[in-house]
Amino acid sequence: MSRGQARFADIVKMHGDFAALRNVNFEIAPGEFFALLGPSGSGKSTTLRILAGLDAPTSGRVFIDDKDVTAVDARDRDIAMVFQSYALYPHMTVAENIAFPLEMADMPKAEIGPAVKEAARKVRIDHLLDRKPGQLSGGQQQRCALARAIVRKARLFLLDEPLSNLDAKLRLETRAELKKLQRSLGVTAVYVTHDQEEAMTLADRMAVFMAGEIQQVGTPAEVFARPNSIDIAAFIGSPPMNLVPARYANGSVTIAGHQLKTTSSITGEHDVVVGIRPGTLRIAADGLKARVDLIEDLGDTAILDLDCAGTTIRMRVNENIPREGEEIAITARPNDIHLFDPTTRKRL
Amino acid sequence: MNARRLRIIAVTAISFVFLLAWAFPILWSVLNSLKADQDVLAYPPKLIFTPTLDAYRDVLFGSQSILPNLISSLVISVGTTVITMLMAVPAAYALARLRFRAKKFAGFYVLATQMLPPVGIIIPYFLVLRNIGWIDTYQGIILIYLSFSLPFAIWLLVSYFEDIPFEMEEAAYLDGASRLRTLWRIIIPQVRGGIAVTIVFVFLNAWNEFLFAVVLSGNTVRPVTVAMFNFVSVEQTLWAKLAAVSVLAMLPVVVLGIFAQKHIVKGLTLGAVKGGGRR
Repeated sequence: MSRGQARFADIVKMHGDFAALRNVNFEIAPGEFFALLGPSGSGKSTTLRILAGLDAPTSGRVFIDDKDVTAVDARDRDIAMVFQSYALYPHMTVAENIAFPLEMADMPKAEIGPAVKEAARKVRIDHLLDRKPGQLSGGQQQRCALARAIVRKARLFLLDEPLSNLDAKLRLETRAELKKLQRSLGVTAVYVTHDQEEAMTLADRMAVFMAGEIQQVGTPAEVFARPNSIDIAAFIGSPPMNLVPARYANGSVTIAGHQLKTTSSITGEHDVVVGIRPGTLRIAADGLKARVDLIEDLGDTAILDLDCAGTTIRMRVNENIPREGEEIAITARPNDIHLFDPTTRKRL
Repeated sequence: MNARRLRIIAVTAISFVFLLAWAFPILWSVLNSLKADQDVLAYPPKLIFTPTLDAYRDVLFGSQSILPNLISSLVISVGTTVITMLMAVPAAYALARLRFRAKKFAGFYVLATQMLPPVGIIIPYFLVLRNIGWIDTYQGIILIYLSFSLPFAIWLLVSYFEDIPFEMEEAAYLDGASRLRTLWRIIIPQVRGGIAVTIVFVFLNAWNEFLFAVVLSGNTVRPVTVAMFNFVSVEQTLWAKLAAVSVLAMLPVVVLGIFAQKHIVKGLTLGAVKGGGRR
């Protein structure tokens, strides 16, 4: 069996009466890039800290490579982590920082030097080995933290919002490099982020956290295509899915007096929340009447704020952009219409 | 222009007064230690005199040599400082980091011991030490000094430890370091400025302590502060010798201060953790 598998079984974390995590279950496959995605306070960082052994769960078990590590110390879990703040040792040079985990593992001195150089070369900071962290730029510090994590072949490679302290341009560059690095090393990476775009682009699979619970686990494409709940639908996508209350009856929904066909085979009449991605809306003469309130032109594409009888619906258009104030009519294919239960907030 | 000039003059004058007040005792000691006894007592004070090292020769190698007392002071101060630091560093680290029930109370208690006027406990201390036969011994005086220096050192060090972000330690644990190794390799190097400051203060307090020393010491163990007092008697005060001893007694502390200054570099942790951690 290859290294780097992790599993959470019924993990609960209480802070007094407050449940930071409720019944968290998921499994990470070896070599996978797994993202823990969710808004702040949703429990994703707590999950990472429990996996690392920095926090103990109130109940439940953590397994790494099928071994129960719930009671194992952080330093004995063979895990490398990149902190949001990088947590570099300020009194040591870059080389000493990178060498520290190897020293702690009692690697012979003769082998440490080459290993440090190799790790630094992989993240392109081999020319900075004699500097102290205080003399590095933010991006260089981030690379130093990465090098310290990859220098030893740990079972799991944890990253806690590693890009959030970088400026936008550097963040995009580093994101791509991070993915390449993980692929070339073949390590299992667990990545915490609140940025859905980061999770979508980096992750092989992801777990979406909402209020201390995992609401959905799947590939980014799956989560995007079939969000499990209203909360996930509202969280994923930029701009996120339109969510409109509507009346459902025998396969069709009625929004502002206009009927749209769905693929649902539920019988009877129900109140539902209809979800439609802005990119799947199309202009059609016999569609739902709407007035263009506002246009956000992004150059190659535009986001329209539409007023449909008092409800705001956002739509993405790539060509034939209407003018503000213009009356248009829109529709969506049955496949692109998602139905949610307004009380349970789950997908129907 | 005129107002600005006036202000500069005023500021300079005031600064000069403060400088004089600060420097006078040292100047007075150094000058008098170099005078012959009759020059010391001359009135008006002689600003121009023939310097002599007689006083130094007498206090170092004469019948009333203070060399044994300097050694006593050194043993007491070094002993107090070493034991204090060995105990205060882990204690302060624990107070800054670990979460235990009585932490708040422990922190307050440490500070409360500093509020006690020393005179109030000098008699009980004397009785206790006499009962266990530790009057006029190094261990007796060091023990008593520890009761003051330890709370002070812990209190001073805690704030330095608290400045170090938690994540730094967590990173070290994940890198495979034990708690003790993390303390030694990661934490202590970052608080060495605070440790240097604490060493200087603890040593200084022990070196200059007089009240407890005069009560708890005797003929065997007599620190230099107590020995100096011998130059003040009912008949006369031997000013030149007193001044010479003062200057000599000042030297170890000055040397320590210069040595420690190298390590008191501020902002060592700056830039290590972006956003500055919890400062």
